[in-house]
Amino acid sequence: MPKLFTSSELKSKTVDELNGSLENLKTELLSLRVAKVTSANPNKLTKLRIVRRQVAQILTELTQRGFAEARKEQAGKKYKSVDLRLKKTRAARRALTKHELSQTALRTIKKQQNFPLRSYHL
Amino acid sequence: MPATTAAQKVRKGSKLTMTKKTRSTVHFHRPKTLALARNPKYARRAVPQPAPMDKFNILRFPVTTEAAMKMVEDENTIVFLVDRRANKGAIAQAFKSCYEISPARVNTLIKPDGSKKAFVRIPAGTAAVDVASKVGLL
Repeated sequence: MPKLFTSSELKSKTVDELNGSLENLKTELLSLRVAKVTSANPNKLTKLRIVRRQVAQILTELTQRGFAEARKEQAGKKYKSVDLRLKKTRAARRALTKHELSQTALRTIKKQQNFPLRSYHL
Repeated sequence: MPATTAAQKVRKGSKLTMTKKTRSTVHFHRPKTLALARNPKYARRAVPQPAPMDKFNILRFPVTTEAAMKMVEDENTIVFLVDRRANKGAIAQAFKSCYEISPARVNTLIKPDGSKKAFVRIPAGTAAVDVASKVGLL
C-alpha cells in the first residue's frame, strides 16, 4: 500500500530529483485514470487518491523551496517581487502606515503647545 | 517690428529668428519619439507558477464505450477525453510525448456535458489495436 511522502523525504531530495519523481507520478496517474475506466481493480482505484496527493506534495515542496530561495535573494532590496510582498488585503496595502498615522504636522504641534485644553475651576 | 536689446535677445534665445516649418502634406502624423525597452527594477513574479497545461493535464483518459472500441478496430482511431482548453495541435503533441506515436490527425468535439472528446487517428502504418494496448485500453 503506497504511502504519502514524509517531509524529511521531500526535504532530502534535490530539485532535479523532485522533478523526476513528479514526471513518474504523473505518468502513473495517467495510467491509473485509464485503469479506472477500463478495469475496476480496487487496488488501483485507492492508489489514485494517493498518487494525486503525492503530486500535490511535490509541487508544494517545489514552490516552497522556490519562495525560500527568492526571499533570500531579495532580502533587503527596496523593491521586492509582488508575490513576495505581504498580501494582507488591497485596502490594507494602500492604507497609511503606522508611522504615517502617528505623525503630526509642525503647525498642529505648535497649536497644541500654544493653545492647550484649559481646565477651569468653577 | 520692435527693436530688441542684446539682453532681450539672450533671454529669448533663438525663438526670435525661427523660420516657419514648411509642411509638404495636409496630414499631421504623430512624430516618432524615444521608445525605451523595458528595464524592470524587479521581477514581478519571483517564483514562476507551474504550467497549467502540460501533457498530463491535457490527456485525461480514453473513452471505452462500444462505439469507441469499434473506432479503434475500424477507423484506426483512439478516442480520448481531453482538457477542454486544449487544441488539436496540443493534443497531438501530448499524445506523441506520452505514447511515442505521432497522430495522423486529431478531431475534436465538445460534449454536451462540457468536456472535450478527441478522436486521435493513428497513421496507417501502425495498428490502433497495438497503440490501444499500450495506452491500457485493451
